[in-house]
Amino acid sequence: MTQMDGYAGKIAWVDLTHGKIDIQETPAELKRDYLGGRGFGTKIISDRMDPLVDPLSPENIFVFASGPTTGTGIPLGSRYEVSTKSPLNNTLMSANSGGTFGWKMKKAGFDAVVFEGRAQKPVYLYLNEGAAELRDASSYWGMDVHGTTDAFLSDLGDKKAKIACIGPAGEKKSLLACVINDHDRAAGRSGAGAVLGSKNVKAVVATGDLRIDEADKDRLNAVKERIRTKIQENGICEALTNYGTAVLVNIVNENYILPTKNFQSAHFENAENISGERMAETVLKKNAGCFACIVKCSRICDVDGVVNEGPEYEPMWAFGANLGIDDLNTVIKAAWECNKLGLDAIGTPASIACAMEMQEKGYIKDGPKFGDTAGIVDLVRQIGLREGFGAELTDGSYRFAERHGHPELSMSVKKQELPAYDPRGLQGHGLSYATSNRGGDHVYGYMISPEVLGAPEKLDPYTSEGKAGWVQIFQDLSAAIDASGMCLFTSFALDATDYADLTAATMGIDLDAAGFIRIGERIWNLQKLFNIKVGYTKADDTLPKRLLTEPLREGGPKGRVWEREPLLSEYYSVRGWDAEGVPTEEKLRELGLA
Amino acid sequence: MQVTVKAFATLRNIMDAKCTEEMQENSSISDLLSTLMEKYPGLSDEIFRDGRGELKDFVNILINGRNISFLDGLDTRLNNGDIIVLFPPAGGG
Repeated sequence: MTQMDGYAGKIAWVDLTHGKIDIQETPAELKRDYLGGRGFGTKIISDRMDPLVDPLSPENIFVFASGPTTGTGIPLGSRYEVSTKSPLNNTLMSANSGGTFGWKMKKAGFDAVVFEGRAQKPVYLYLNEGAAELRDASSYWGMDVHGTTDAFLSDLGDKKAKIACIGPAGEKKSLLACVINDHDRAAGRSGAGAVLGSKNVKAVVATGDLRIDEADKDRLNAVKERIRTKIQENGICEALTNYGTAVLVNIVNENYILPTKNFQSAHFENAENISGERMAETVLKKNAGCFACIVKCSRICDVDGVVNEGPEYEPMWAFGANLGIDDLNTVIKAAWECNKLGLDAIGTPASIACAMEMQEKGYIKDGPKFGDTAGIVDLVRQIGLREGFGAELTDGSYRFAERHGHPELSMSVKKQELPAYDPRGLQGHGLSYATSNRGGDHVYGYMISPEVLGAPEKLDPYTSEGKAGWVQIFQDLSAAIDASGMCLFTSFALDATDYADLTAATMGIDLDAAGFIRIGERIWNLQKLFNIKVGYTKADDTLPKRLLTEPLREGGPKGRVWEREPLLSEYYSVRGWDAEGVPTEEKLRELGLA
Repeated sequence: MQVTVKAFATLRNIMDAKCTEEMQENSSISDLLSTLMEKYPGLSDEIFRDGRGELKDFVNILINGRNISFLDGLDTRLNNGDIIVLFPPAGGG
């Protein structure tokens, strides 16, 4: 029966060890309290799994989940999440991706897929209009992401099928491995691809054309029009259409917070050469978007006759400024190689940057060198295949740097590499890095928005006052947006009332802005509880030593480091946690978690 | 005195990506923008609400890497050799 609440209505519980699939209705209280996406993954894993299991063992659980707005035609409602215990850092991680896979998973009849156990041989999960089937994937094992995707489309004779898969990196259990859908859309961080690889799951293939119906269409149409107008009239969203996310290269560089050569400085002299503007002048063919997108921030580029989607700002920085490389074509080819192999396009180049600094300081011999373009694409390939020098880096920068006696040169938080903003000039964003529930990360609380871009208002990036409260709101709102199925970029234009109205009209429930944010807070606290059980403490809520002790040397933030206190104590306080960063009983009761 | 002006993203459709301007002593950002708007007629609509007075949402002006919003805004004084950066609304993630 068609659901009338935005959901497909079913979850496929897949026991890989025994090859059995149990299809159940999506529970009403799960929808009400956690919406979907990151919420579903967090709740299901927290309920069913001992946090101390080995993340690469059969006991780990892996969840694909869309949200209630995914695929409903709401502008920018396209997202899905993968969630699991990260093999990179043991956190309860979620990673978000767009494209069309989340939409198709619902058209195939499923809100979520939950993998448990381990298949004896490579398999893929085939979802088609309410039916779910495990099939042999032996012939696809060893193929890269593009090859796998094209082979499924060809072999199934179904051009409308959508595929999320791992590449060789996931098969090799690289801790930098990710999950990629629609050829080039990555659920990128925290090594999720290695977990699927450990379970012998090559892909999920979704097809079908079941209806997705919302509860209150008249009300929803009115809200849709409102948010469509807000998005279309928002200057940042308009800029995303024009230049894509890579427009940030010059912006961040001119603010003197573009990490350069493994965060040794925060200004790259040749940033213009790897900027969104330069991309638009040279290799850009057209822009593209996810399902129901009216922004279309993605770039389709042509480099030496090869046409692919991407890259985004993060890999542009990570293969560019952070490696001291200003050759745009090399940067793009290296980012594309990550997608082909199924590698995190932040963690992979950040690990190379770490190796380059180790080489520069003489801590290793024969490593890659800053600014040297030769061999970078091949090194990415080696990382994905766990071969040659790539085998040294394939489990991330922290393990590499620690093995060679210098863990301080891994620019990571909780062993996950930091993204493209130097927190010495961004006190609020630094707090977001230090407290993110999956380690070094920018999308769990994007304080760049107020501290650099000025949305929803301009906050002085160099000051700490009031930032703890802002970080909490950004973290909780982002968690709820990820659960709803909406793209995070909508947050440049929309507010919590817009999201609550969208969600309420879709699901046919009463929900206001505070209630929407409260769902995010519930997810955040549940992730935090899991991480505490794993063994994380207050001591882990910090940044690499360099960012605490080595002041920036140029531009506006010259002389600054990231000031951990009083930010961290204030953050714990506004969250209703104790002085050690542990959620109090009162807070847990308030959120329905105790 | 001389200052350098850099423009990014869509502003490059209406002005040079980089230029230098001769300014009188004690000039402000506001004075500089007036000079630039005479030189580049389309600039005022891009950065000012209603063409003048108040900056549009998400327009950012930096002086030597510091946002003027946290200095003296449009009244921020210029010094010889300053680098002024103009960004239209822009962002990503």
